[in-house]
Amino acid sequence: MTEAQHGALQLRVKRIEPVTPEINRYTFCAADGSWLPPFSGGSHITVLIPSDGDTKRNAYSLMSSPYDTSEYQIAVRRVNNGKRGSLAMHDNVREGDVLLAGIPANLFPVSKHARHHLFLAGGVGVTPVYAQLDELSLKGSPFELHLAVRGPGHAALGRELKERYGDRVTLYGHDGRSRLNASDILTGRPLGTHAYVCGPRRMVDDIIGAAHDLGWSDSNIHFERFDDLGSTGDPFSVTLARSGAVIEVSPEQSLLEAVEEAGHKLPYLCRGGACGDCETEVLELEGTIDHRDDWLSESDRCTNKLIMPCVSRATCTKLVINA
Amino acid sequence: MLITGIKSRPVYDELTPMTSGLGHVTAAQGSGGKPLVRLLGEMNPDQLAATTVLYSTESFTGQNYLADIQKFKVCGLIVFPANADAVRGLDAFLATAKMGTRLYISGSEGFIGTSMQVATSYGMNRDEVLREHAGSFSRRVWCAHCSHYSENVTRRVFACPGCELNLIVRDHYSGRLAAFQGVKADSEVPGELPENEELDT
Repeated sequence: MTEAQHGALQLRVKRIEPVTPEINRYTFCAADGSWLPPFSGGSHITVLIPSDGDTKRNAYSLMSSPYDTSEYQIAVRRVNNGKRGSLAMHDNVREGDVLLAGIPANLFPVSKHARHHLFLAGGVGVTPVYAQLDELSLKGSPFELHLAVRGPGHAALGRELKERYGDRVTLYGHDGRSRLNASDILTGRPLGTHAYVCGPRRMVDDIIGAAHDLGWSDSNIHFERFDDLGSTGDPFSVTLARSGAVIEVSPEQSLLEAVEEAGHKLPYLCRGGACGDCETEVLELEGTIDHRDDWLSESDRCTNKLIMPCVSRATCTKLVINA
Repeated sequence: MLITGIKSRPVYDELTPMTSGLGHVTAAQGSGGKPLVRLLGEMNPDQLAATTVLYSTESFTGQNYLADIQKFKVCGLIVFPANADAVRGLDAFLATAKMGTRLYISGSEGFIGTSMQVATSYGMNRDEVLREHAGSFSRRVWCAHCSHYSENVTRRVFACPGCELNLIVRDHYSGRLAAFQGVKADSEVPGELPENEELDT
């Protein structure tokens, strides 16, 4: 694993602006004033957030223009019952602070072959769409955005995009009444339409279900789930085969976080069970693995030979992984 | 003499109903009628009622399955006298087709390739399309010198109708051009041609 993924970028917090009662937008520039690495629409960075003597690693989509790397922008929604990373961002981080972050990675790129791009987002799920629309509008590719928010006070980002892209953006919930209906949006679309879905888990799952019901195939459905729930559950212990270290995973942390806290390193990219980077071989298991990722196939899961340490847990008396 | 079994060679599927689709369109030609009849036979009445069949009776080997195809109660059957017309018919159909459509192509390699070019231009993905090869493995050849396409080439060496050069048919298949590449056969020593074997594909 390269150092880059453990915090190669030093980002100075240039500006913090509240955009909804729950969401702050952070603008970063390089601490040494240089240009930041380029990225494509849909990319995220992992921000290392100091939190009570501990470090939280949260992935946030870049919402600034991919064509301006003098700064990065992210939006952070405050999640009170999450793994506390977003709370630390809101409560402890101040303008002028320097944070470490990994280099951008993209698990949610726009399709190069799409004839029409259809974005469906909920709440803070709009953040990757910012950069994606920037990219598409420069290329002149046709797109639509359908954005659901929880009420009038939560619509600032949506209004900003509506000002920028006009009729191509439809807001739902900003008036306290209208609701996004995925079937209506997905029905009767021409061949070659690609849908990009980003938002809370239930919304994403519902939209994917609606698309399947309408005969959409998986290669035309792209999604990113926005969960800040981390991986919480019953405690368990894991043995790292190479060092022999036995690590206790507490109810509040993921297997990956526990390993990192004990001073060991595992590869990771998304920390959300989507990218497959942290896939680790299970050498011995007495018990069952609680798979929570979107990466492994059903047949992979049944073999009990692989685990995704960033989200998955185990109910076990013994777990040895090849790390 | 040339390399065969190289990776660029398309790997074909077996036509079978894609149950996740809401609408179906088939494009078949000549011998491709055989897998098409089998496919239609595996479809339930609802699927048949949502299926449009495009069939070209042009065939290198003279195979014609039109009578068998006509026995099925499909949403529409459009018959074309020539393969090029069927490919244009597919283009017209896909222009107004909606997401949820599944495409089945069967026939010669050249027909599948050109139909696939049309499907790709409408952004259809491989999980929305099945292709089954049927009949002779004659090749569609693109001339590297004049860009002429020759259908139904069965010999390793042949004279290009476009530029009249003697071409040797390479085993490299281009999915983008939907053809094998033909290059000048006697470029080193004019008049000295390699053995003109039957293509062993």
